[in-house]
Amino acid sequence: MAQATDPGKVLDRPNGNGGEENGLARYEISFGQADTRWAEMLARNAERLLKGSYSFHWLKTDPPNFGRRAKPSSRGLTYTDINNVRPYGEVPEHVDWKSFAPRGALRDPYRAEMPIIEDYTVLDSCEVWADNVITLYEEAKARQWNATRDIPWEELKPLPDDLEKATCQLCTFLTEVEFVAGDFPAKWMYRIPQDFLEVKSFLSTQIMDEARHQEVFRKRAIAGGGLMHSAPGFEWALKAILDAPTHTMGTFLLNLLGEGLVLSIFRSGEMIAKTHVDKEIFRRCMQDEARHVSYGVMQFKYYLDNNHDREGALEQLHRFADIGERVILTAFTEPALVEPVAILLGGGLDKIDNGMEGMAHLWRMFIDEYLQRCARAGFERRERCKLPLDFPWRQG
Amino acid sequence: MSTANSAADERGPAVAFPSLEWFRRLADLMNRNRALHEHLGYIDCVAGFTITDGGAGGRPFSVQVTFEEFEAVNVREARPEDASRADFTLEAAMSTWREMIENIARGGGRPDLTHTLNYLSHMGEPIAVRSDDTMRRDMYFRYNQSLQEFVNASAQIATAFREN
Repeated sequence: MAQATDPGKVLDRPNGNGGEENGLARYEISFGQADTRWAEMLARNAERLLKGSYSFHWLKTDPPNFGRRAKPSSRGLTYTDINNVRPYGEVPEHVDWKSFAPRGALRDPYRAEMPIIEDYTVLDSCEVWADNVITLYEEAKARQWNATRDIPWEELKPLPDDLEKATCQLCTFLTEVEFVAGDFPAKWMYRIPQDFLEVKSFLSTQIMDEARHQEVFRKRAIAGGGLMHSAPGFEWALKAILDAPTHTMGTFLLNLLGEGLVLSIFRSGEMIAKTHVDKEIFRRCMQDEARHVSYGVMQFKYYLDNNHDREGALEQLHRFADIGERVILTAFTEPALVEPVAILLGGGLDKIDNGMEGMAHLWRMFIDEYLQRCARAGFERRERCKLPLDFPWRQG
Repeated sequence: MSTANSAADERGPAVAFPSLEWFRRLADLMNRNRALHEHLGYIDCVAGFTITDGGAGGRPFSVQVTFEEFEAVNVREARPEDASRADFTLEAAMSTWREMIENIARGGGRPDLTHTLNYLSHMGEPIAVRSDDTMRRDMYFRYNQSLQEFVNASAQIATAFREN
């Protein structure tokens, strides 16, 4: 029987000082005293087994979802194929199932006995859904690659000192930033209920992608000389992403703006690569990143298109972007990023000025692409953009 | 017409570039090399290739290739009014295409560092990536490795370049 005792009021939150003991005590109260419905089920099940009787309730298929067989398409059996079978593809606008019960399963008769997963807080589809999420999930699975075996590491040869250091510094930057794009979806994934299974599936591929990116850039740096400098400007940008107040806001900052800029860096990285190894790395990462950008744009669009107060949502998002753009700019003006890229663009330390001119050209392209993606999502940002349209180089 | 990469050899008779036949040969090569493209993953897009001065009288010549799953399923010549059918179009002068194809052939199917599709297109020139939609344009990046392998297969074709 459920008790009124709130374990959170009995014990402090774990804080690392005695946290294990407190956490265990809270767990004991929660499952041992506060809510023991599971024990009633256990007793019921044990009694039935001891009597040697069967339930067979699970054989009933009313409502009759059972028997409508999904048919594979030429690619195999995709989420789209199984979602074509009613009602499995009916994604709710608002989720009221805060449990692990699968969407489309016979679950209503058991609602009263099911625990409620309070961590599921992202209950509106507009906060997570994107019309391309299933396509991107299938594509992500099909286009996975292996940073150990798919890169021709044996071809890596030492570069001149200035180019090697610039490459290693760029890889250090990328090692530093890539995991935020894993941590951010991971942070939100357990907040997203099971009814949005396609989104959770896609986010799990993004986490895998980012683990691989962190891996490949770490390997490249250490194989070429070593990791170099981290930078506080990177860290503040990453923190701004991780601390975003909602999933959609964070997705905007991470996938649409941040990953959009990193996609540009990957494209630049492929162009300025001085070895086939580096070219292969950047080309592979570019593809993954473009998927994340694609999800970001379409999730943002879905949010705006399905928001009951579009104008209010737009204003909130502008306020968020006012901060987010400036914090992200902190990372993209760090010398530990700008200078190595300029050296690689120019072709050497002695040609860094030429490289900075190239950076200025690329910057205009980056910003234009960012603003185009915002517009595509229905977020006209051109007039309010806090990012400089021209790279702030020798303008003073 | 000039044959660039020691043309009519064990690769068979030279095929003119640009031509529908040349791109169809690339598509055949992709479809015969399914294992490589399965390893790279799905590619689902319509890619346009425009040689701005590759047509009769120095006019543009355009081809659109439809990719589905791991194959190039359709290759067709495109008229200007077909442009929006392509998710994106790679557009460059004959000299750029020729230099890239010859470079790939010299590398035995791998371009050097300055002749990859991304290298040539990243700054907006000499290859321009045209699209009327940023999402469709981004497909060029999503499938870049597959597209690179698609053009890398040109090393297996004896190419004869048209001269206007």
